[in-house]
Amino acid sequence: MMDRVAIVTGGSRGIGRAIVDRLVRDDVRVITCSRSSRPRDLPSPVVWVRANVADTTDAEGVVSEALSSFGRLSLLVNNAGVQIEKPVADSTDADWDRVIGVNCRGVFNMCRAALPPLTDAGGVIVNIGSISGVQADPGMALYNASKAFVHGLTRSIAIDHGPAVRCNAICPGWIVTGMADDAFALAKDPDAARLDAVRRHPSGRLGVPADIANLVSWLASEDAAFVNGACLTVDGGLTAASPLNPGLF
Amino acid sequence: MCETKAPILAGKVALVTGGRGGIGRAICERFRSEGAVVYPADITKSGSMNASGETAKPGTRDGPFIRLDVTAEDSVRSAMARIGRDESRLDVLVNAAGIEIEKTIDETTLEDWNRVLAVNVTGTFLTSKHALPLLRQAARHSGSASIINFGSYDGFIADPGLAAYCASKGAVHALTRAMACDHGPEGIRVNAVCPGYVDTPMLQSFFAGDGSGGAGQTLGELQTAVRDVHPLRRYGTPKDVANLVNWLASDEAAYASGQLWVLDGGLTAQVQQMRL
Repeated sequence: MMDRVAIVTGGSRGIGRAIVDRLVRDDVRVITCSRSSRPRDLPSPVVWVRANVADTTDAEGVVSEALSSFGRLSLLVNNAGVQIEKPVADSTDADWDRVIGVNCRGVFNMCRAALPPLTDAGGVIVNIGSISGVQADPGMALYNASKAFVHGLTRSIAIDHGPAVRCNAICPGWIVTGMADDAFALAKDPDAARLDAVRRHPSGRLGVPADIANLVSWLASEDAAFVNGACLTVDGGLTAASPLNPGLF
Repeated sequence: MCETKAPILAGKVALVTGGRGGIGRAICERFRSEGAVVYPADITKSGSMNASGETAKPGTRDGPFIRLDVTAEDSVRSAMARIGRDESRLDVLVNAAGIEIEKTIDETTLEDWNRVLAVNVTGTFLTSKHALPLLRQAARHSGSASIINFGSYDGFIADPGLAAYCASKGAVHALTRAMACDHGPEGIRVNAVCPGYVDTPMLQSFFAGDGSGGAGQTLGELQTAVRDVHPLRRYGTPKDVANLVNWLASDEAAYASGQLWVLDGGLTAQVQQMRL
């Protein structure tokens, strides 16, 4: 059996890096990208491209690099994303361009560029959406809206480009990454804030990047052959509970 | 009430189960002010309220109170027979009778479980089933009839320690869609309203019960904190719910069917709010 070939966007750190590491363990040939330079500890077989997915030419370049390095493409994981913590009234044109550029246009750019080779070989797309695309987090208007776009695009690709291509989205909850640490650091009492956050999760802990990588691995596998157009939540039970959690008052 | 607007339920005959509860009472009052003939029905004349019974406003015709146990088929049959005899039809059925038990499944006895399911689910089934002939009469008479069930935002997501209640409301949601599909062709619309935290005796009981689990706070502090999680910074009132039920009962909602109408002050538009 030929090795599978995957593109993972935003693979330098956090969830993206965990996805890269997991796919490498799954014997997938991986190419990953971000706007920064290659992380020093990235495993050597992984191909690195410096690219801004919001830029059409850059996005096409990532797909070309995958095809020239490995001759084919089997999996696209759209993980690259940015968040800006502002409500609509405070959001600038530059904020719009940045969030919508990476989170919406970037996913569109990568899907459009990758669909021809994915269609040829029969492939899988996994987009990283968010629970915030279903219910709102306060003060994150453009981010919330951009993730709802990802969910909608996921369903559209599934119905337009199946059966050759399967397309699904993962909606992570609170995953312990640099992004989450930034949020806790802003709290009056970071330790109390972290404890409060943990207690809101029926699973009794926050998520870790590997929780998301596990589902990417499964969605990319033949076990998920009938899973298509779905937005799957991995949040430790957070959104199964009411936003009101009177036990914590 | 608004004097400048024509009453939008003029001439409609309505049965409201749980009609002596916090929300049911507000619905009856609103229906009357909109010109409906209202039959409030409940298991006792005071229902879940301690207040004395209200009287019809001068100039409005009021149906009499009907003693109704929605879990007993004979009781449901005789309520419908009475309305059939007096009115020959039923335009609006509101299934507002409901109970909750504040327990996890570990603490819930089979008797608890059966009681919650009996009132919230079986009751909705029985009243709807036996109202169908009268609702069909109304649909033939005026083109449409309407059933409004009581779901809950708890039918979508869970509050802690309310397992049987959450399950019962999820069942009402599914039953609402099923009835809408089956009886839409007969001109019967079926919708559910799904309230969040509405200030009623049931909510007070939830706060006072074990399920709310306030961490060493007074009841007042707890209620204020919970209130402030709502984007609108207040609890719902029975009147808020009656406003929606009134619209769903009216011909303004002629194309609305099979839907679950969440009314929660924006509560479930948000992800759980961490205290940062």
